[in-house]
Amino acid sequence: MSMSDITGPRRRAVLGGAAAAAAGFALAGCGGDDDGGDEPKGRKKGEKITLTFWSWVPGIDKPVNLWNSKNPEVRVKVEKVSAVEGAQYAKMHAAIKAGNPPDLGQIEYPVVPSFLIDNGLLDLTKYGIDQHKDMFVGWQWQQSVFGKGVYAVPQASGPMGLFLRQDLFEKWGVEPPATWDEYEAAAKAIRKKGAWIETFSATNGNRFAGLAWQAGARWFGAEGDTWTVSIDDEPTRKVADYWDALVKQKLIKTIPDRQNAWYKDVQTGAMASWLGASWGDALLVGNAPKTAGKWRVVPMPQWKRGEGAYANWGGSTTAVFAKTKYPKDALDFAIWLNTDPESIKLLIENGYGTPGAKRGYATSDLDVHKDFFGGQAYSKVFDDASKGVDTSWKWGPATDTLYQRLGDAFTAAIGDGSSFRSVLKKVQRDTISDLKEKGLKAEAG
Amino acid sequence: MTGRAPGRMRRMTRAEARGARAAAGFLLPFLGLFLLCFIAPIGFALYESLLKVERTGPLGLGGETKDVWAGLSNYAHALQDEHFTAGFGRVLLFGAVQIPVMIAFATALALLLEAASARWVGFFRTAFFLPYGVPGVIASILWGFLYVPGISPLVEMAHSAGWDVDFLGRSTVLWSIANIVTWQFTGYNMLVLIAQLKAVPGELYEAAKIDGASVWQIAVHIKLPLIRPALVLTTVFSLIGTLQLFAEPKVLKPLTNSIDSGYTPNLAAYNEAFTSNNQHIAAAEAVLLALVACVLSFGFLRLVGQRGKGGEDR
Repeated sequence: MSMSDITGPRRRAVLGGAAAAAAGFALAGCGGDDDGGDEPKGRKKGEKITLTFWSWVPGIDKPVNLWNSKNPEVRVKVEKVSAVEGAQYAKMHAAIKAGNPPDLGQIEYPVVPSFLIDNGLLDLTKYGIDQHKDMFVGWQWQQSVFGKGVYAVPQASGPMGLFLRQDLFEKWGVEPPATWDEYEAAAKAIRKKGAWIETFSATNGNRFAGLAWQAGARWFGAEGDTWTVSIDDEPTRKVADYWDALVKQKLIKTIPDRQNAWYKDVQTGAMASWLGASWGDALLVGNAPKTAGKWRVVPMPQWKRGEGAYANWGGSTTAVFAKTKYPKDALDFAIWLNTDPESIKLLIENGYGTPGAKRGYATSDLDVHKDFFGGQAYSKVFDDASKGVDTSWKWGPATDTLYQRLGDAFTAAIGDGSSFRSVLKKVQRDTISDLKEKGLKAEAG
Repeated sequence: MTGRAPGRMRRMTRAEARGARAAAGFLLPFLGLFLLCFIAPIGFALYESLLKVERTGPLGLGGETKDVWAGLSNYAHALQDEHFTAGFGRVLLFGAVQIPVMIAFATALALLLEAASARWVGFFRTAFFLPYGVPGVIASILWGFLYVPGISPLVEMAHSAGWDVDFLGRSTVLWSIANIVTWQFTGYNMLVLIAQLKAVPGELYEAAKIDGASVWQIAVHIKLPLIRPALVLTTVFSLIGTLQLFAEPKVLKPLTNSIDSGYTPNLAAYNEAFTSNNQHIAAAEAVLLALVACVLSFGFLRLVGQRGKGGEDR
């Protein structure tokens, strides 16, 4: 590393703190910066170290405790971070700026690139991650590959599916929808019974991206050294028009999802289905325990009957931050956490989604909450969906900003009744200018 | 300060030196902290606001990242951002309605508690002041539960009475926030006003009573004019607080689709810094916010200052 790298982060640490303070926040003393600028030497033989790991995954401490009992020299300490509205990433970005990030972090696929442009993550190929490549699902691995580098260890993905209250659907004589047309018809039928099929949450950019992904959209691409942005493309327009019509016809709610009011609707059956992802089983079990046995999972509705096009919502990686002093140990832990059968078993029990590892479990192992879904082998649905996820989707370098843009624009559109197409137009324009603002080259794709 | 009257000077110097040492001793802790926590961050924010990030390397990944001079482009960007400017309009509207209401409440409570016939003054004073002890975030969470449909007993009661209220709707959420702020700060402002009322010499009231003034007349013609400085003070504090609205919209945001990321200028700057990771634009927005707060506060002080003088002339 050059001299400028030695002074660079230190100066940024001070400035970052100052900007934060000026914005009305007092950051308690920015941490020291002990980076000498050399490659970290790593752990001496027999030396006892502690690695910090920022995560929000419920129950993540169980596999970590198992690791700690097996590796007394490399203790991993989990620090829980809030995952509300991207708070965890704000914290990680701030920590990188301040020069004191943790050693490891839970980072979702869509936001990995935003850490790369800040040089926040370690290129793991330097520490031999390539030898583990064939242990992971190909496309999940690819999500963290940029150029020749691999920047994160795949943990889990979230192939999407439709959770529904089978008892209510049956009572009301509504067939589980296999296409989006049928979904709209089902929405109407359910509305006639005084309930709702779903909510369109303006602020859930993640799921909207999944819906566009399924329809064949490719929001980001790279041409040479330029990012291409195509949020306002035909497939996304099709999706936007569809949900716009549902909202305008008042066939779905517009409350935010996974918030108190939504949980209440799910508990009471006021909302009869949820377009969710494989990790959603634990969420329903935890928040609507009284509805046990009444839920089923069916594949996500299709644009063309039987097309088998699916999408991914969420899913995350274990990344190693660039400043860690013990890159080798951190990588060893990250690999172990996501491939060791015992660890996977514990992660599955806590509902972490569809594993990024190819081996070490059986699909039926994922049916942790079989009883809740009336004995259905529901993970098969997600496993099939996983195979139908178009793997060429790439995320851009400012996904959090993109979600915020989408959230603001959908919020405004739902409020003033303007079209969802105008949302796409606006977000497309804003995203290109956001990327340029970040010092990147960007143009419409 | 040099020598026209050396004799006098020498005497003063000795006294002054002692005084200056003492003054410096007392001032240093303040000045040190003031510089460190106030002037320095403002200076850095100003500096940061004039820079922008430049990235090299293919797609900006893994390349060099450096800060380069940006002139006023961050300010231009902030002022062109309709979310940010709309936030200003929103807090100004908020202030125009909420501050008079709150100050009126606070004044009424202060006058009631300081009225000669008031009973259980200590209890009520503490009770009214208590919400101020609840941190803004907690207050917003508490009120959030009272606002969210499906959970809120208020919404349910209104619904069973045939009245469908949506506290978190697009047109109502600003006033729901105003309610939280009023709940929190009325008691605090009341206490400031009471403090000033206590400083009014009792003879004035006695004289007024002897002249046959009613309780109402005493309140309007004696108490109100005398607590005018405290009213100005509480209004200016409220004005600054309003411009800095943050915790309430931030906490309520996940509960509703009616609050966007630039709902208030402070929220916009926060999201720019911590969601979008654009410290430079956030710094420019923070500086703009500080400027507006400065202009409005001093503008208000000037306005009431002139009126005050006009009053004395009469």
